Amino acid sequence: MASFDSAKVAEIHRQLHAHLPSESALRVKALESLLVEKGMVKSENLDAWVEAYSDEVGPKRGAHVVAKAWCDPDFRARLLSDAASAIDELGYLGNATAHLKAVENTDQVHNLVVCTLCSCYPFSLLGIAPNWYKTAAYRSRAVRDPRGVLAEFGVALNEDVAVHVWDSTAELRYLVVPQQPAGTEDLSEAELAKLVTRNAMIGTERDLSARPKGGV
Amino acid sequence: MDGAHDLGGRQGFGPVDVNEPEAPFHADWEGRMWAIARTTGQPDWTIDWWRHVRELIDPVDYLSRPYFDSWAQTQIAAFIDSGVLTLEEAISGTAGGPPQEPPPAPTVDEVVAAVPKLATRFDRSIDAPPAFSIGQSVLTVSAGHGGHTRLPQYARGRPGVIHAHHGAHIMPDKSAAGREEAEHLYSVAFEAKALWPEANRRDKVFLDLWESYLEPAG
Repeated sequence: MASFDSAKVAEIHRQLHAHLPSESALRVKALESLLVEKGMVKSENLDAWVEAYSDEVGPKRGAHVVAKAWCDPDFRARLLSDAASAIDELGYLGNATAHLKAVENTDQVHNLVVCTLCSCYPFSLLGIAPNWYKTAAYRSRAVRDPRGVLAEFGVALNEDVAVHVWDSTAELRYLVVPQQPAGTEDLSEAELAKLVTRNAMIGTERDLSARPKGGV
Repeated sequence: MDGAHDLGGRQGFGPVDVNEPEAPFHADWEGRMWAIARTTGQPDWTIDWWRHVRELIDPVDYLSRPYFDSWAQTQIAAFIDSGVLTLEEAISGTAGGPPQEPPPAPTVDEVVAAVPKLATRFDRSIDAPPAFSIGQSVLTVSAGHGGHTRLPQYARGRPGVIHAHHGAHIMPDKSAAGREEAEHLYSVAFEAKALWPEANRRDKVFLDLWESYLEPAG
């Protein structure tokens, strides 16, 4: 049973700091072999999880959702009013998306998602969060200097565009719905999905027509 | 707790590395650690307890060691705290008792098929009506506390406006202390300038905040 005792856990951390091997790969290897020995996990189980969430459960799911919203106004309306139900229609509900919210970019508003306190991310829809999303640099600056962060990602905003930053402090998770690039009205849903990038769904990319080659 | 994890608005961390590889994991051990954490949690661990255990890592380690390394230390510390592992086992990497037979491993297709079952809900039905309504001006409380909380330092004692109400959700400060209680949850919009004077006057920051983090304004 968990103690829920902060002081006890802080002392455990001090012991681990003093005695665990420094190299991360060794720490994880030792932990895995210990858990296997204790019958808590099979190594093949870990393999299956890594493969599932590296490929099948990844940003192509989010891209499908965005492309469908571009093609289908009714779906778009449902996505913006109740995103968890809307993605459930596509079978994409899962970890961290039971309370999903979709926020839409417009000519006047650009949305950017961050988790300043840890690394909350809608991973059943977008897969494993990029490493930069979990760094102190992004977490500290996205709320205070979002325009500076966006500039580093190559996003240039018109002077009259407002930036809305969503700090994921609860169990809500955010999906940015980017704007459909001009001149793509004749593309199929599947073709449109190839234009939608992971970063656009986090908000660190804005103009998908400017992308030389699409795809997630 | 006012720990090193509470990073919003801290300065000095430099630019974001926008050119990292897009692969989900950048080393084999990262993926294995992620999967260990997903598959070996204990029934009485809440997401809030796990986050709090991570926050309790030494601040120098928290800020300097790789991201999934902090998951390893969190998982190990939480196992030791719960009596699943001993400190000696964690340090030696060898179990004290005889080997146990692990549960059968699922296939990749089975993992994918099980994803919808993992859509955990955190909303709860409560009798109390919401204290705030959409459009209402509020002020966040100014005090933190030593336990887990989801009201970041940068948004304490600041004026905002209720943007949305999400019903009642499990309250993280209580959940991390082993008690499940629910409170009304709101998205609160803050003018960026109310948080940082140098901010662009057009910009806003939205946080999802529980009712006891908020007071009526004025």
